[in-house]
Amino acid sequence: MARPEMARGGGAAAGALFRIGAGIVGLMIALAAVGPWIVPYDPYTATEVVSQPPPPLLQWPGLLIDTLFRGAPAPHWFGTDASGLDVFSRTIVAARTDLVIALAANALSFGIGVTLGVVAGYYRNFATEALMRLSDLLQSFPVFITAMILVALAGRSWGNIILALTLLYAPIYLRLTRAEVLTLRERGFIEAARAAGVPDWSIALRHVLPNALRPALVQSSVTVGFAILLTAGLSFVGAGVRPPTPEWGLMIATGAGQIVLGDWWPSLFPGIAVSLTVFGFAALGHALERRHAG
Amino acid sequence: MLAETASTVLAARGLTVASPGGRAVVDGADLDLRSGEIVGLTGPSGAGKSTLAFALLGLARAPFSLAGGQVLIGGRDLLSLPEEAARAVRGRDIGLIVQNPRAALHPMLDVGRQIGRIWRTHTGGDARAARDRAVEMLRLVGINDPDRRAAAFAHELSGGMAQRVLIAAALAADPAILVADEPTSGLDVTVQAQFLDMMWRAAKDRGTAMLLVTQEPGVLANYCDRVLTMEAGRIVADRPTRAHFAGRAVTARATIRSLPEAAAAPVVTAVSLSKRFPLRDGKAVHAVDDLTLSIRPGEAVGLVGESGSGKTTAGRCLLRLIEPTAGRVTLAGRDLSTLSAGDLRRLRAKAQIVRQDPFDSFDPRWRLGRSLREPLDVHRPDMDAVAKAARVAELIRLVGCEPAVAEARPRDLAAGMLQRLAIARALATEPAFIVLDEPTSVLTPDARREIVALLRRLQDELGVAYLFISHDLTTVAALCHRVVVMYLGQIVEEGTTAAIFDDPRHPYTRALIAAHLDEDPANRRVDRPQPDRVEGEIPSPIDLPTGCYLASRCPMALDRCGTERQALAPLAGDRTVRCWRAAELDTDNEVRHAL
Repeated sequence: MARPEMARGGGAAAGALFRIGAGIVGLMIALAAVGPWIVPYDPYTATEVVSQPPPPLLQWPGLLIDTLFRGAPAPHWFGTDASGLDVFSRTIVAARTDLVIALAANALSFGIGVTLGVVAGYYRNFATEALMRLSDLLQSFPVFITAMILVALAGRSWGNIILALTLLYAPIYLRLTRAEVLTLRERGFIEAARAAGVPDWSIALRHVLPNALRPALVQSSVTVGFAILLTAGLSFVGAGVRPPTPEWGLMIATGAGQIVLGDWWPSLFPGIAVSLTVFGFAALGHALERRHAG
Repeated sequence: MLAETASTVLAARGLTVASPGGRAVVDGADLDLRSGEIVGLTGPSGAGKSTLAFALLGLARAPFSLAGGQVLIGGRDLLSLPEEAARAVRGRDIGLIVQNPRAALHPMLDVGRQIGRIWRTHTGGDARAARDRAVEMLRLVGINDPDRRAAAFAHELSGGMAQRVLIAAALAADPAILVADEPTSGLDVTVQAQFLDMMWRAAKDRGTAMLLVTQEPGVLANYCDRVLTMEAGRIVADRPTRAHFAGRAVTARATIRSLPEAAAAPVVTAVSLSKRFPLRDGKAVHAVDDLTLSIRPGEAVGLVGESGSGKTTAGRCLLRLIEPTAGRVTLAGRDLSTLSAGDLRRLRAKAQIVRQDPFDSFDPRWRLGRSLREPLDVHRPDMDAVAKAARVAELIRLVGCEPAVAEARPRDLAAGMLQRLAIARALATEPAFIVLDEPTSVLTPDARREIVALLRRLQDELGVAYLFISHDLTTVAALCHRVVVMYLGQIVEEGTTAAIFDDPRHPYTRALIAAHLDEDPANRRVDRPQPDRVEGEIPSPIDLPTGCYLASRCPMALDRCGTERQALAPLAGDRTVRCWRAAELDTDNEVRHAL
């Protein structure tokens, strides 16, 4: 028997989630844009103080006022690492490394995946079937291992990391978009356009593509989060960007050896930065998904 | 009449359902249901009919809530009972049948379990007895082989079958009151008639009181004793059925159109058109089987038959929107099957299609003006933007709308208005031929009449030819000059509208016409014998019968029918029939209904 629908709650929660996600993502993008110009220390140049812990939290307000208004030299907010590099400056500047790699990989895989998805959904023939099997093949390997091997083979440059991530994430967009196109192609307005004599490529471009974008757009927020995690992960195992590039994963890896000695700060702060960013993108994606589903 | 003497089994007083904003969706409704009486509840979409029907069970669909009033069943107010007690009343005293039956069935339980469970809930019987009860109920609602069907799951049932299961479930605990919310929307006429006959008999034999929510005048006229009319949340009229229909002319019969001049060459011709969809196991679905048909300029040809008879596929093949497996289609003197892709696209200006669901027919992201301009962009490179805009405005006016709707998006308009614009778009390139694929079936009866009037006017003004695919015979009779009846991919009868409606010869055509519900309470289906019923539902087009396709359902079938295929043969009176007994079934035979 028909059950009365559940009242749709959670609208306010989704709104809050959206604001938090958008706030974090906005902050990270801002840091990526202006980071190198606002940090107190050069992220590549070692200072004399090695493995200095961060100042106690209680002193932060005083230190902040001293730095901003009394011309005192900036403290090492997050301490310094074993080579004497300022952890605070490097954590901020690393936002650019991680976000550029993740966003570029996401944009590329989005473009390639969605385009191929429209083609594979709209034209179903031997070539597009072969394409789907190829994407099955790509997706059947563990993502992290594949990325590691690809970067190891191609060389540890930004460009190669971006390409490796693109290759891994494009099948996700391909599949999502193709599924959407498969239902779209049965829709009446597609047939109406065919009956009007509109050429296939034009139908694909003007009717199918814009109407098939929604799931891929929602996915892209989630993918950026994963891409950041993967970029950091690759660097952590030594298959990512080269030191001393400021990059969160690399910083965590460099600091990891010191943790047993009690030096927790060189790893903790970049770790928080990764978590926060990934959470921000995930929250944004989840909120968008909820909004579109409702 | 029974209704006058029978006792009131349900009384609603001041029943009010409110939206979260405090607006009354159902506003102080008073109604009585008496035993053995079928009460129709009608009114425009959004009047609150379904909401009221639900409220009678003490239920409200979110976000609405029950805001006041009483529902008295057996002297107790259902609305003031604790939830536990109210639940005991639902199902035992009052049953509900909803539309979209397949969605209302549990997908993971076989239907026998579902029916039995309702009975067990209210009687406390054991599982064994519940199964027997379920089988008994399935037999009662006319399901063949109920033992085996009780083990079926929702997805294994057709829409008609699922609807019967639902009524079996509703009747399982033998409730004194049944509430049915548009129970036959989306069903074929034959299945609709079988189903409503059964409901009617249940009400009359068992003394069940029934509330039937429907917008269909035919259903009201044929099955209801009393009609309640709702508008904007209020019951505005409560009349005996005859009074409800008093003053309405039954005009369909009078408007049958005469054929246009026969001299002109056909605008579209199909010869031996077939379409088979291959399946994985080497079998194939025979959607269209050797169809030959021609339509002249200015002529409207109706294509009728149950769902699954291949009507829609035939229409698509005529436009080569899907590739026919065999056969030839000639459009405006050119053979479509030999055209190159480019030539075919250019010729598409001459033949258009209007589909069933207007909301699906327009790109939801585009403004309607842009959608209407699309065919012009393809076929009229000579027109500039200004000329195109003027043409779009002209088209919109042609279908009786204001040019300002060009700025609207599909979701902003009502279905009837949007369907007019779909017709306008089809006319943009001045086609000679339009396939109308059930263009009225999702519309309200009023919008339906308006669309038919519009199509007639456009045809008279523009001389365009129509293939009108529909299962609604009233609309077909009002619009078409000629009617083609299809069954399992084959044409079984073809003739003028008058010939088909006044003197149907093929047993299938006769069954279709007999299942049709006239909007006339003086000529009720339930008051006359039904010798022309075809039983059950259309067989699968995969394993076709060896003989006549209808033989298994045909009331006229002889042994020979089961083994011999029939040919489409001409018969006196401007028609062809695929039945070797057609000549026997002439006009004075028992069933003739004025339409």
